[in-house]
Amino acid sequence: MRGTIKSVGLGLLIAAGLSTAGLAAEIGRIKTAVGSATVQRGTASIPAAPGVTLGVKDVLTTGRDGRIGLTFVDNSRFAVGPNARVVLAEFEFDDTTHKGRSLTQVDRGSLAIVSGQIAKENRDAVKVRTPTSLLAARGTRFVVDVK
Amino acid sequence: MRRSVKAGAIWALAALLAGCASGGSVMLLDAEPGADVGAVAVFAPKDGAEIGVLDKANTETRLNGRVQARPGDPSRYATLVDSLPKPGARFTLYFLDGSTQLSPESETVLQQLLEEVARRPGAEVQITGHTDTVGSVDDNDTLSRQRALEIRAALGERGLNPAIARAVGRGERELLTVTADGVSEPTNRRVEVTVR
Repeated sequence: MRGTIKSVGLGLLIAAGLSTAGLAAEIGRIKTAVGSATVQRGTASIPAAPGVTLGVKDVLTTGRDGRIGLTFVDNSRFAVGPNARVVLAEFEFDDTTHKGRSLTQVDRGSLAIVSGQIAKENRDAVKVRTPTSLLAARGTRFVVDVK
Repeated sequence: MRRSVKAGAIWALAALLAGCASGGSVMLLDAEPGADVGAVAVFAPKDGAEIGVLDKANTETRLNGRVQARPGDPSRYATLVDSLPKPGARFTLYFLDGSTQLSPESETVLQQLLEEVARRPGAEVQITGHTDTVGSVDDNDTLSRQRALEIRAALGERGLNPAIARAVGRGERELLTVTADGVSEPTNRRVEVTVR
């Protein structure tokens, strides 16, 4: 009897832990997708579509006719252009304190960024890395274009 | 024949080197209405030292280790910028003093909010509770979160999928009307909802 209660308790703990981890893992969502556009997650390749949730280390890739529009939990927004490869390398955001940081890696193609609450409340915490440079958004809208 | 292949290879190599040397570019665009242009800082990739900034709208620089700001033509990126999701729509709901009970006019706002969710593909709802400065910081964190959860429940009853809604409390960190500590202020007792 006691054993059963214990294992039910453990089950609840595990379930609670899992659901918290699931929530913490979501950093943004796809809002628009056009043409050939995918999310690479580990070895999985997920077609980009409105509502697809995104996590740290996801890689967004587009073909010649591809585009992706996405939003993050800090209200920042991205548009990924054609022939692009963009890695969501790091992303942390505490929605109570608004402390956070992010690093996005643009390997090729163009990326438009409208920064959100992370950039507003943490100086130089929104970074973009390209093969030849490292950039930081200071509350703004800009385009990074890697040939 | 052999020679032309060689020449072709040299041209390809030259083009590749030129491409590497330019490394691409960054262009600062005009801010959206109500926002500042801000700036983009450029750092040395190795040691992270700042090597320059773009701080004027519609200027650009190559990403080749130096910052040389020059005017840029934003129309080059018009299609890309059009692919940005539109900014989140914001709604504010108010509460009666020290409670999680909504003010009477908030019902209309809830309905407008749900209509906005229906209009946006892949919509999400960020629900952020706030308090005034009456009470301790810890109590206000709890109260603000309760207010946010209250709104999430109210939206759930009206058909919103809870999986797309996040509820958080920011306590008294973001006062709409700045007051001293311990001041009862109705405009600060609110929940802000962003539909994105």
